[in-house]
Amino acid sequence: MVQWAILSGIEGNLTAYEAVLQDIRRQTPKVTELYILGDLIDGTPEGNAVVDRIRNPKKGELIPQVCKGAWEEQCLIVRGLAAEPEANPFLTEKGGAILKQLWDHIPLETVEWFRQLHFGFAELDCLLLHGSSLTVFEALTPDISPLVLLDRLSRTGSNRLFCGRSGQTFQYQVSQGKLAATVTTIDQAAVNQDYTIGDPAGTAARLIVGVGNVGRIPKQATYTLYNPNTDQVTFRTVRYGRAGFG
Amino acid sequence: MKIAVISCIHGNYEALTTVLKDIDSQNVDQIYCLGDLVGYGPYPNEVVTLVRSLDIPTVQGCWDEDIVDGLNACECSYPSLLAEKRGKVAHQWTDQEIHPETRAYLAQLPKVLKQDQLAFTHGSPQSQHEYLLPELDGFLALERVLSTGADILFCGHTHVPYVRTLKQHSLTFSVRTNSGKAIAPEQEFTAPVKRIVNAGSVGEPRHGRPNATYVIYDGDREQVTLQEVEYDYHKTCTAIVEKGLPPIFAWRLAQGMEFAERADDPSHLCERGV
Repeated sequence: MVQWAILSGIEGNLTAYEAVLQDIRRQTPKVTELYILGDLIDGTPEGNAVVDRIRNPKKGELIPQVCKGAWEEQCLIVRGLAAEPEANPFLTEKGGAILKQLWDHIPLETVEWFRQLHFGFAELDCLLLHGSSLTVFEALTPDISPLVLLDRLSRTGSNRLFCGRSGQTFQYQVSQGKLAATVTTIDQAAVNQDYTIGDPAGTAARLIVGVGNVGRIPKQATYTLYNPNTDQVTFRTVRYGRAGFG
Repeated sequence: MKIAVISCIHGNYEALTTVLKDIDSQNVDQIYCLGDLVGYGPYPNEVVTLVRSLDIPTVQGCWDEDIVDGLNACECSYPSLLAEKRGKVAHQWTDQEIHPETRAYLAQLPKVLKQDQLAFTHGSPQSQHEYLLPELDGFLALERVLSTGADILFCGHTHVPYVRTLKQHSLTFSVRTNSGKAIAPEQEFTAPVKRIVNAGSVGEPRHGRPNATYVIYDGDREQVTLQEVEYDYHKTCTAIVEKGLPPIFAWRLAQGMEFAERADDPSHLCERGV
């Protein structure tokens, strides 16, 4: 039995990460793969402890597969190791002061490790990444046009996209689609084209899943379990810092 | 309103002047230009001067962008490694040839122009380097048009003209959150008929003949006409050789085709970002 735990946005909150790891250990069926879709840090020194914990799992723990998030990418930009995008929504949101924080608090050795991280993972029929297939900074949310979401999914050739930038947990399903087109060229009269998505039973739907956020909201972490065999998505909410986890 | 749309002139002054004469005979209200004024061809400054003097609304093409910012394209800019090698030679030649005022003009060009329900761009609204090929997935093509808010998206970049009508489209979707409940019950997304019109290329056509191509759109009749115009391409070919550009560009211009080996993935989508 294969079961994935997919999380994102620890954002320097080691307590939240430990709570999620504990929740993962309790799962039945057992979690076989652990994916962390970026934003391990948040520009504070506490982020370094999270990075250290992820890089050095305890004996018997799953070895996390980690890709870059917006915070990690911004670290690379600050150090001149990645190109600054024309428009940087992350800097607009966080403000310029964050640049000095990243420079001061994140050691170069850690940044070099960030540099080795992948943009995302393509596994089976799934793409797992932080933002979107276009950029690590793009947040996909359920209120975006279905055509935009389809575009971000189709660019990768996958039918399942797991992302974490928005911090939301959501399952967006495009169950059916149809489109007819005609193309006329200078040498050829109209040629018909037909495109379909899904089937009447809805078994060939396309999915975009927001996997939640571990560290941003105090005492409440969210993450996602996914079974690639059954295609079942389960959202987990972990309440920590008081008796009992939910 | 009747308009003419030209694209991809590529420093071919002879082709441009011939096409402008042809447009004169069409009684259009406005000409739009979809960029790539420079590159490959021998007269980049003259082409820019003429387009400026006629006050033609123009968007920035991928060549125009790269001459301003330096070569900064992802692998989709060229159909093959050989084409990329030749493209770099042409870039260096053009970079040395153009005047400062030409560069300044190219630098200030917008990426997308909008006029009522018509949008104009070079490659796609996402990137001057992205090819909207006629076989691009229909849903993705529709997304590109809708992202502009227009009914018709005029583009170039492929050098092969076409008209693509996107119709009878619908998407059924639903959303649920971690409560397990559907926050949006199954919904259907539909949109009116949209069109992508590729204007082809004035100065470096690749539809199999050396003739220049452009487009006429009659808004009153909602009619698109793909125009093909003969011009004296021998003059341009001679100038290409005389000015020290790779002679193979002259051969290509005379054939009206891209001779490079087929790209591994001709439908590759540009990753340069929004």
